[in-house]
Amino acid sequence: MDHTPSRFTGATRYVLDPELAGIVNISMALEMPLLLKGEPGTGKTMLAHAIAESLGMPLIVLNVKSSMKLVEALYQYDTLTRLNDSRFGDSVRNVSNIEEYIKMGKIGQAFTSDTRSVLLIDEIDKADTDFQDDMLDVLDQMEFDIIEIDKVVKTVHRPVIIITSNAKKDLSDPFLGRCNFHHIAFPDPKMMRKIVDVHFSGLDENLMESAIAAFYKLRELEAVEKKPATRELINWIRALRSDPDFKPKKLLKGEVPFLGVLFKKSGDYQRATEFTNRRKLF
Amino acid sequence: MFIDFFYTLKNAGVPVSPTAFLTLHKALGKGLVHSLDDFYVTARSVLVKSERYFDLFDQVFAHHFEGAELPDAEGVEVDEMARALLEEWLKDPKLLANALDVDESELSDLTPEALIEYFKERLKEQTEAHHGGNKWIGTGGTSPVGHSGYHPGGMRVGGVSRNKSAVKVAMDRRYKDYSLEGPLTPSMMGEALKRLRNMVPAGPKDRVNLDETLYQTMKNAGEIEIIFERSLKDRLKVILAIDNGGWSMDPYIPMIQTLFNYARAQFKEIKTFFFHNTVYDYIHEDPARYKKPVKVSDMARLDPETRLIMVGDASMAPYELMTADGSIHIEERSGRASLEQLRFLSETFPHSVWLNPVPERMWHYTQTISMIRRIFPMFELSIDGLEGAVARLMEKY
Repeated sequence: MDHTPSRFTGATRYVLDPELAGIVNISMALEMPLLLKGEPGTGKTMLAHAIAESLGMPLIVLNVKSSMKLVEALYQYDTLTRLNDSRFGDSVRNVSNIEEYIKMGKIGQAFTSDTRSVLLIDEIDKADTDFQDDMLDVLDQMEFDIIEIDKVVKTVHRPVIIITSNAKKDLSDPFLGRCNFHHIAFPDPKMMRKIVDVHFSGLDENLMESAIAAFYKLRELEAVEKKPATRELINWIRALRSDPDFKPKKLLKGEVPFLGVLFKKSGDYQRATEFTNRRKLF
Repeated sequence: MFIDFFYTLKNAGVPVSPTAFLTLHKALGKGLVHSLDDFYVTARSVLVKSERYFDLFDQVFAHHFEGAELPDAEGVEVDEMARALLEEWLKDPKLLANALDVDESELSDLTPEALIEYFKERLKEQTEAHHGGNKWIGTGGTSPVGHSGYHPGGMRVGGVSRNKSAVKVAMDRRYKDYSLEGPLTPSMMGEALKRLRNMVPAGPKDRVNLDETLYQTMKNAGEIEIIFERSLKDRLKVILAIDNGGWSMDPYIPMIQTLFNYARAQFKEIKTFFFHNTVYDYIHEDPARYKKPVKVSDMARLDPETRLIMVGDASMAPYELMTADGSIHIEERSGRASLEQLRFLSETFPHSVWLNPVPERMWHYTQTISMIRRIFPMFELSIDGLEGAVARLMEKY
């Protein structure tokens, strides 16, 4: 396999599963958006960062909000500044030229960027279905209209588009039809070791093994509102490392310090404490 | 190329579209695929759009390229059946135990999971339906638990009960007949529900009203006066109550799922409840109608502006609706007939409708439909009916 820079092969802080690498490369070649689903903490957002890093492209992130309208993601017409300028007339902008008051939104920036960029549309499921369908039209055509000045913005360089969704329910059919799809499963312990390794080089073998074992044990805990994910594990290991009194042996005995790093909802925290206390008895 | 593969996927139940198939060919044409592994990854990400079908895709792939056994559609059905049996078991353990020729106490020691496993084993033994035999799954036999003729509280193994003789469903494909889906596509449903919106200003005054700002600025002789206003938000509350009990609603399940999905997407605040046939003392938050009961009388505390949408075929034995102890669930014996509870609901929520998946022309054949129609404005679950219902819900009083 050739390693031209246009192929995605992984990044410094991201452990890439070869299957996912294949999917990313296919989507780039087909110029189709890639829709990623999966549990929180499986690295959906990180993937976009990793692609941007490894291909040396700028990353543009559109964080979708529930009240968002598509036009906000495309461009913004700053009417107030214009009104202000027309009243006081002390700016360098030309008031009669509306174009000077048009600011590009995130999608607009990705379209007009001088180099090819990675556009991450994060948590698309937050917005309503209209937003999603309208956005896909824009991404499909790779152009949009600025109504105020009747100008069509076309892409200079087609961005690499990554869309993430946490939703349990599926997105609409027309939306899915235009994307490639991948579901990132929660990493298995083997993969997790690699991930931890990337974040903490030269971590004590003992600490890593027992921390990961304890982590997967705690994930098995039932009736937990939010299971600890990769992000929590990494923070937890960071906490364990910085505690001078901590010995990996303690974990095996069922003493789990810093539970609050792993479980962030108070109900979950209580359950986890009970669980670890009980284990000590055996 | 791979046309067989495409159709095997389609037949196995993976929703694949021809467009996606063409995209796959585009990918192949670009020389991106060098091995079977590459093909697997490419085909899956292009063709399959939901992780729910990943497993099915894997099985079809293995079948097509490695000659593995095709997934057995019956496996799924056995699961479904076993679950139905469990439900029956919970309703009346003795009857089911008799039907299976085992001692009730033997089964009652098992956990629900173990019970399901047990039922599955029993169902697998029964590889084909015995009609008229004396085995326990079949129609019209001497078995005490066939489906025609028994009181709903009794044992019914499959069978569509809509004032017609029970049709054998036990080991048949249950949702083969999609004709009912015809006129009502998901997007049409979304379109109809979209009208059910009630935008009111809410939240902080953080949006600039441009027209008003310009007007006030002019009035101020050019001195800028910025006018803020609240943004419009949809504050409409919706309660969706779905009849998911028994077999009589089964043919309409896909339709109701669609409605449900769309309702989810449309409204910020939607509560979903489930009931069986009609509403008695409790209505349930969980589809199994077991874990989270909510007292119907407690609903009086909810906002009366809430829109109540009941979905059900409204078809049952008249006494279930009329008598004070009509419920087929023994624990619901408050002495209030279901009819009264329904009337209570419709009085609590003046904006309410009943959506019925049964075609309107069939309504007057069923007595209970006419009775419920007198309480709730009833609409057919079709595009026209839905529009009528939405119009009704948005009426001002």
